[in-house]
Amino acid sequence: MSDVSLSAVTVAYEGRPVVRDLDLAVASGEWLSLIGPNGAGKTTVLRAITRLVPFDGDIHIGGRAVARLSSRDLARGVAMLVQEPQMPAGMTVSQYALLGRSPHLGYLGKESSRDRRIVRDVLRRLGLDELASRALDRLSGGERQRAAIARALAQQAPVLLIDEPTTSLDVGRQQSVLELIDQLRREQELTVIAAMHELTLAGQYADRLALLVGGRLVAIGSASEVLTEPAIAEHYRAQVKVIEMNGSGTAVVPVRR
Amino acid sequence: MLGVKLFSTRVARTPVLLGGLPRLPWAWAAGGALALLASCGVGVLAGPVHIGFGTVTQALLAPIPGLGAGISVDPGQANILWSLRFPRVVLGVLVGGTLAVAGAAYQGVFRNPLADPYLLGAAAGANLGATLAIALAPGTSVFGVNVIPLAAFVGAGAAVAGAYALGRTVTGLRSTTGLILAGVAIAAFFNSIQSYVQQTQTSSIRQVYSWILGRLVTAGWDDVLLVLPYVVLSVAVIFVHRRLLDALTLGEDEITSLGISVRRVRLIVVVAATLGTAAVVAVGGTIAFVGIIVPHAIRLLVGRSYRVVVPLSVLFGAAFLVLADTAARTVVAPAELPIGVITAFLGAPFFIVVMRSTRGAPL
Amino acid sequence: MQEHRRRASAKLAAQIGVTAVAACLTLAACGGRQSSTPNVPTVHFPVSITAPGGATVTIAKQPHRVVSLSPTATEMLFAIGAGSQVIAVDDQSNYPASAPKTKLSGFQPNIEAIAAYSPDLVVAAEDTGGLVHGVQALNVPMLVEPAAKNLNDSYLQIRQLGAATGRPAEADSLVGKMRSEVGSFVASLSKTSRQVRVYHELDNTYYSATSNTFIGQVYKLFGLTNIADSATSATSDYPQLSAEYIVASNPDLIVLADTKCCQQDLSSVAARPGWSVITAVKTGQVIGADDDIASRWGPRIIDFMRAVAQHVQQVEKAA
Repeated sequence: MSDVSLSAVTVAYEGRPVVRDLDLAVASGEWLSLIGPNGAGKTTVLRAITRLVPFDGDIHIGGRAVARLSSRDLARGVAMLVQEPQMPAGMTVSQYALLGRSPHLGYLGKESSRDRRIVRDVLRRLGLDELASRALDRLSGGERQRAAIARALAQQAPVLLIDEPTTSLDVGRQQSVLELIDQLRREQELTVIAAMHELTLAGQYADRLALLVGGRLVAIGSASEVLTEPAIAEHYRAQVKVIEMNGSGTAVVPVRR
Repeated sequence: MLGVKLFSTRVARTPVLLGGLPRLPWAWAAGGALALLASCGVGVLAGPVHIGFGTVTQALLAPIPGLGAGISVDPGQANILWSLRFPRVVLGVLVGGTLAVAGAAYQGVFRNPLADPYLLGAAAGANLGATLAIALAPGTSVFGVNVIPLAAFVGAGAAVAGAYALGRTVTGLRSTTGLILAGVAIAAFFNSIQSYVQQTQTSSIRQVYSWILGRLVTAGWDDVLLVLPYVVLSVAVIFVHRRLLDALTLGEDEITSLGISVRRVRLIVVVAATLGTAAVVAVGGTIAFVGIIVPHAIRLLVGRSYRVVVPLSVLFGAAFLVLADTAARTVVAPAELPIGVITAFLGAPFFIVVMRSTRGAPL
Repeated sequence: MQEHRRRASAKLAAQIGVTAVAACLTLAACGGRQSSTPNVPTVHFPVSITAPGGATVTIAKQPHRVVSLSPTATEMLFAIGAGSQVIAVDDQSNYPASAPKTKLSGFQPNIEAIAAYSPDLVVAAEDTGGLVHGVQALNVPMLVEPAAKNLNDSYLQIRQLGAATGRPAEADSLVGKMRSEVGSFVASLSKTSRQVRVYHELDNTYYSATSNTFIGQVYKLFGLTNIADSATSATSDYPQLSAEYIVASNPDLIVLADTKCCQQDLSSVAARPGWSVITAVKTGQVIGADDDIASRWGPRIIDFMRAVAQHVQQVEKAA
């Protein structure tokens, strides 16, 4: 029971609406990618689901209204991977991941050996067990991204929100991070909502894409339905060639004007 | 409710340690305890009046039932030790430990390495409260308690509450910068009122100055008892927030999405740290530097986790202040030096050495 | 070092003496001529006065609009009968009660506010905030009478103020009276074989005064041992003493010059941690002095000295 539904959600910053009247339903275990040009409101949608911004309308997770959950219960239901996680200097990977257990502890609670076991297993699953004692500031970009995922997974929330997971990674690392998230989603039956810039990757990994423009939903569906040359030309003001590849999704290739 | 057991099938039966978790290194904990003991030893042995090692030990043992039987100490020396030197050393422990741990706490909640116990105007408020009490109601006492430290408490509380309210209206408490700016503004405002009162009430100027410079010189067990409850409460509250102080080093959105109320943690820790600061300012005056130097030296030398910084700050802060106070009463004996002069004189070069020797370590 | 210091202070005293003589010479009024009617000054202006600071001040005619920014000078002016010539005194001049107290400040002097009184003589204890320069720019004579180092300095200042206000005879007679009183106090004390130890307290954080200060000179004149003199030369003449040192020194006499600022008295001193064993506390030889009298160098120092002399007699009798 980890479906996410938004109905008539509006978010305004200083009176200016950035998300308008948004309806969205994400099934349990589904991967939905939010795409759209800069300023479309992708990140704001994710922030509304985790109640980091006030919103009008209703957001439900597993049938329960987000607005009425305690912040701890919300954190047990939704984990969020922000675009540029702050990695405190000097903190070790395991300590960082262990902070993901916070929603399961009391206000002044102490981590139990069970919490430590969960974190150890998460680190092992992400291939970070060798780096457990390393300081965050001494990790490579890809390792940092994995550490951030570890912290979110340690939260054991059935819904995972991801904001631009591949920014500043090279193409190999982009693939491996998305591959990893997809594997974890299948293994743990996670519901994933990801805001993504890179359209080809978004289409390859998501079950469905939701195209936001100016805070409104303009298209939702499979990659081949949403990623059309006219739509991208209109909303991104980009000239692209969309290539259907047999069995491996839709490629969006920019074309020189 | 919403949580799912993701890894239940793979949880190992045998307890396996997770490496890389911050632990208080025992060598440092023992070293801190030893440093505190040694500084207290120096503190009780050194003073403008020469009292031998044997006499000091005997005076310490004499009141212990059983052990002390048959020990007789010169009453004059026993009086000096028990009425003056011992309480002053104990007060040094309380003041130093509290200032250092309050500094660490402020740096944690404001995520600002320059934050110190005086940041939110706590000292400015305490000084204004005391100045007003000295100037307007000299010698008054409420329920047998001198009104000056009470006024200092009220002043410190008012300053911090003011800074908090101001920072909140301006920035909704999301930004620590707003809170710090509010604190600076409140401190400047309180300082100006204090200067004005001081200028217009010149007859009380001497007492105001001696208050601001601290009264460790006149300390007795009364002062120890006055601050002890606040200091214990303050340090205990900060102590149990070690894990949350570590969590606060994450980004604000990340902390919130972990179900931790940044506002609540910040409020509780700030109130606790301010309470402790106001209490020790009431007896020790404004002693700069301890709250910045001690926690940072520990971060650079030992580690940045508050599980390490908080307990070691208490030990080393206390040891440092006892030593500084010992210097204050011996260097120009039988005269006294202001302790703030000593803490800055010893602290600044020491800190520079630590900074240079750990170059490249993140602050 | 110590020797050098002593010589330096001897030199200073000699200079003051010379200055005094010079002042007398220019006045031609010192010492001798008795005025037949004391209330009608007969001195002829202009007079020139060489202040301890070194500058010579010329006063063209008898001043009738004197502004005093020094509480001590105020006390001196009124004691020599020049009170009627004083039109304004600073906010710290609280004695005598009849002095025309104003909001003028001697610490942070406001030249404009001073000028508003159109003074014909300004007296201060310190040249702070460009005071002398500012007053001179107004073409008003300005006399600086700084903190006295000893009683002779005080006598000299009284005479100078007498000369400046046209009341040299009154000044002479006041100085004469003070001298004879001081002489009788000293005579009333036996040549003590046993040194009486005194602790002079400036505030309740144990700031004290060594023999290099005016008040310290008073104790020295009485042959008392000032416990603050043990404070090394590394600190000022007003050192803050350690509590344990004061207790260990066991003074026979404690003089509290912090009864007004800090409400100290015998009972509050006795209540201090560890102080109850001190001889002065046990025998009640704790003098509650008026903070103002003990921190000024005016004529009222005689009252203070009388009280101290009485207590020293009691200490000697008890011994």
